[in-house]
Amino acid sequence: MRFSLRRLRAIAIKEWKDAIRNPQILLTAAMPIAFSFLFDRKEASDPAVVAFPLLLAVSITGAFVQANMVAEEKEKNTLRMLMLSPASPAEVLLGKSVATSALALLVMIGSLAVTSVPDANPIGLTALILLLLIAFLAFGTTIGLLSRTVTDISIVGLPLLLVVIMGPMLGTSLDMGWFSAVVDWLPTQHFVLGLTGLLDSGSLAGIGVHLAALAFWCAAACLLCLGVYSRKRYDK
Amino acid sequence: MEPAIAVSQLERHFRNKKALDRVSFEVARGEIFGFLGPSGSGKTTMVKILTGQLQPSAGEAFVLGKRAAGRRDPEQLRRIGIMTDNSGIYERLTVYDNLALFRGLYEAPEKSVAGTLESVGLAGEARTTVQQLSKGMKQRVALARALLHKPDLLFLDEPTSALDPMNAARIHEALRALNRQGTTIFLTTHDMAEAETLCDRIAFLNNGTLSALDTPQRLKLSHADRSTITVVASDGRHVVNNDREGAERIAGWMRAGQLLSIHSDEPSLGDIFVKLTGRTLS
Ligand SMILES: Nc1ncnc2c1ncn2[C@@H]1O[C@H](COP(=O)(O)OP(=O)(O)OP(=O)(O)O)[C@@H](O)[C@H]1O
Ligand SMILES: [Mg+2]
Repeated sequence: MRFSLRRLRAIAIKEWKDAIRNPQILLTAAMPIAFSFLFDRKEASDPAVVAFPLLLAVSITGAFVQANMVAEEKEKNTLRMLMLSPASPAEVLLGKSVATSALALLVMIGSLAVTSVPDANPIGLTALILLLLIAFLAFGTTIGLLSRTVTDISIVGLPLLLVVIMGPMLGTSLDMGWFSAVVDWLPTQHFVLGLTGLLDSGSLAGIGVHLAALAFWCAAACLLCLGVYSRKRYDK
Repeated sequence: MEPAIAVSQLERHFRNKKALDRVSFEVARGEIFGFLGPSGSGKTTMVKILTGQLQPSAGEAFVLGKRAAGRRDPEQLRRIGIMTDNSGIYERLTVYDNLALFRGLYEAPEKSVAGTLESVGLAGEARTTVQQLSKGMKQRVALARALLHKPDLLFLDEPTSALDPMNAARIHEALRALNRQGTTIFLTTHDMAEAETLCDRIAFLNNGTLSALDTPQRLKLSHADRSTITVVASDGRHVVNNDREGAERIAGWMRAGQLLSIHSDEPSLGDIFVKLTGRTLS
């Protein structure tokens, strides 16, 4: 059956209305804004100060909120009803992603209002954020699909996200060979490096390798997510 | 016209356990068909197979002319409605927003939500959050969601389990109205009163096999014990034989103006179920 924008829109609207009435999701979503108070406005030229509020907004709001939405549908048995409607998996997952992205966008704006708006090439910045967001939405969806309940998310997702978020922060200071090697691969590391490059030189060409790496992560994360979804049957 | 549902020699195994064993039956278009059986008899398994959620292990099932093969079929899903006991509605959303979601998913007309809420008696609760509704009202929201898109065939898995008689009667009324408009209904229940008041035909399911299939009237008539008649007269309750002598005794009470009530001894569906399977329904 053809892809239906009306169905995607119905899911996105439902997801949005549900999210803004869900204290757990609102709390998770707002966490990055609270964290951004830890960063000092005066050091706005330091890439880390600019990068981490964005990184947190994309990873915590993007991945965790998305995981929460998916896992709650499983826990409350509503995912079965969606699968028993004509809505395709793509419509369901994209609809959720639209709502999560809107939330993540608000949180990013909030975080940057607390710290400062980076003085960087807007196209490059948008591309970096967008690619990281897509990858994390796919990670979040996968985590949600692998969890049976909302509380499972922390068990399945927390260790992974800790490595991915903290990696770029710790990797250089810890000075462990293999850990740095892992960190060099992380999408978040490419995001930080790309942002640093953007702040330093301001040219898109300089961050091409990082954009490519992030695009690769997007594709990999989406494939992983689709693989997990297609193996999922009606029964948990 | 082809039947709404045609099942033949259907089996479903879970590891070494047979949940359904060589079940065959047909449901005609426009019928209300009841699947009556105790807990664990295979009712939900049958609904899952017919709605494409489970694959049959052997035999075949056709639903609205299409083979049920345990795969998602969006075209088919558009023509059927499903309501299960675990209702699966969004608690934080309003009644209206819940239905608006499914209106979008089924691409149903704009005004279908208001009309459906009217038909289940929830027109006044459109703006209420589902969390704040009583259990009976939630069940009616779930029913409204299942019939919002005017399905040709409606599957109901224990639609009134855990409802008080008032709320159950409300749901029954809505189902009859829907059926009058042409919707075929396949309903599972372990409530024999529900099966009797609602269903055109009833199948008895026990341990995965069908042990009877007929109209409630014919089931009761064919298992009726016609040898005795119960009479309540002013001096008490009497069981008299259904013969010439019994007739004389009954006539005697009638002439004396002492006859209070008279019953042929027909069994309830529950009695028949016990007689056929040796098991009780609940
Ligand atoms: N996924 C499954 N895996 C293993 N066994 C199952 C599965 N689903 C059902 N069964 C078994 O199949 C049998 C029939 O189950 P089913 O859920 O169809 O019964 P039911 O008539 O719907 O019962 P209830 O009235 O309690 O809902 C049961 O013995 C059950 O344990
Ligand atoms: Mg059941």
